[in-house]
Amino acid sequence: MSSLIFTLNTSVKQRIDCSPLTSDLLADKSVADIAAIELVVGNAIERVDALFDITGDDASDIKFVNSTDKLDFVGRNMTSGKLTVEGNVGGYLGLFLDGGEIEVTGNTGIYTACEMKSGQIKVNGNAGDFVGGVRPGYRNGMTGGTVIVTGNTGARTGDHMRRGMILIEGNAGDYCGARMISGTIAVLGGVGAHLGYAMKRGTLLLMQAPAQGISANFNDCGSHTLAFLPLLFNSFAKLESKFASVESFSRVQRYAGDVAGIGMGEILVKI
Amino acid sequence: MIINGVTIDETFAEAFPMKGTRLIITALNAKWAMISAQAFTGFATSVIACGCEAGIERELDPSETPDGRPGVSILIFAMGGKGLAKQVETRAGQCVLTSPTSALFSGLESETEMALGQNLRYFGDGFQISKMIDGKRYWRIPVMDGEFLTQEKTGVQASVGGGNFLVLAESQAQALAACEAAIVEMKKIPNVIMPFPGGVVRSGSKVGSKFKALNASTNDAFCPTLKGQTKSDLSPEVESVMEIVIDGLTKEDIDKAMRVGIQAVCDLGAENGIRRISAGNYGGKLGPFHFHLQEIMA
Repeated sequence: MSSLIFTLNTSVKQRIDCSPLTSDLLADKSVADIAAIELVVGNAIERVDALFDITGDDASDIKFVNSTDKLDFVGRNMTSGKLTVEGNVGGYLGLFLDGGEIEVTGNTGIYTACEMKSGQIKVNGNAGDFVGGVRPGYRNGMTGGTVIVTGNTGARTGDHMRRGMILIEGNAGDYCGARMISGTIAVLGGVGAHLGYAMKRGTLLLMQAPAQGISANFNDCGSHTLAFLPLLFNSFAKLESKFASVESFSRVQRYAGDVAGIGMGEILVKI
Repeated sequence: MIINGVTIDETFAEAFPMKGTRLIITALNAKWAMISAQAFTGFATSVIACGCEAGIERELDPSETPDGRPGVSILIFAMGGKGLAKQVETRAGQCVLTSPTSALFSGLESETEMALGQNLRYFGDGFQISKMIDGKRYWRIPVMDGEFLTQEKTGVQASVGGGNFLVLAESQAQALAACEAAIVEMKKIPNVIMPFPGGVVRSGSKVGSKFKALNASTNDAFCPTLKGQTKSDLSPEVESVMEIVIDGLTKEDIDKAMRVGIQAVCDLGAENGIRRISAGNYGGKLGPFHFHLQEIMA
């Protein structure tokens, strides 16, 4: 068996909802069945084979080739298998992901890993706003799993995030960790303004002090040696990420906030 | 069977099923990890009155511990899962949480789990922080020296308690020296502990008592001062008997520990006053695990 490959064969003007093309939904389907699946394209319906050339037959290893940022909802509700996107991808990558792995060679749009439950997403590029966040009107963002972004993330990374880990090798945008309920976001690069705004609990781990400082809503708790950090770094060792080679440390400056709320979140800055 | 002049009795040690777990205590240095471990395993020689049996398995190098600090691995056993959970919780709360710089981790993976730091977290009075790392939940509890880190749960497995053998010698000093030699070798075997002081017990018991309130009493058949008063199992030249009790995660672990222990005693041999090796055999009343001495040493 070889990877099931969807090669985009047309110049896309409208957004395509790719949520039917996951390992779970394509298992036991023939190539003919898959070709006949209808996708929502803008306000129209198109067959899969009108948009993609289809090769291979292994639904547990799906590839999108020649992808563009018009492909939305890739990997939605996926629970197992591997999904690779060669190129950029649109919004809601890995929405509700509950297992398996997604890897993107380019950039992703908004709401990457939105309300993700488990599994792993790796973006070898930049990710848009609301990575690991929550849909408007809902209460819990990402509740498990790991997201790795080798580039930068947009604003409001981890919005309403409840559990899991977001690892950003580049910079994080404004409002990183905003409204965070729990979980861990680690950033190797810089962070934007309003770090941890309305954060309830959880950890923002920074390798460098924020250029724009720490909000007045976070109280300085002093410098400390925290025993959990070596465990955290050990857990990074198996990842294909710069985080795997970060030298473990346990000395950090700890800030607690957002004290405008319950103030149980923390920003840890390496010292 | 005779090894180096030491008679190996044709008998078996009786042991009973227990529930057990392994815990790892780490600290800023090996000294404080050991202090904490010693506190945790204190007053845990016998389930008869301690509620559990616990002991130090071995010291751990920083490369062997979850947080990369010096550590100590301990094993704790109780007659049931609930009793074990209670003992672990109270001992962890009073002896590890309180011990400077300590952290507490599970050292046993098992499908069956019980609370480790799950309830200790409430000591944090709402300031405790949960962290999921590699699928395991940890609790960071703020304490006066920094943070106490503990894993939420630990594995539990069916284990074996009460493996034993008796060393019969011509003098107290010779019995003790033989037991010390045995303990040195037995401590090299993983998954077992010898829960009594220094690994040796001089007050071996039999099942039952003439006093109704007691369910165990002195093993009079092996008490040298009673040779003329009771149905003694001792020959005239035996003046002292000491016992080594072994608890292990599996029967095979106890087999191995008994073998190396008895061999160490026999290596001293008759020339050092060692006469016999026997075992606590209670006629099948104590437990379903039988360790036949001659089979073990064959």
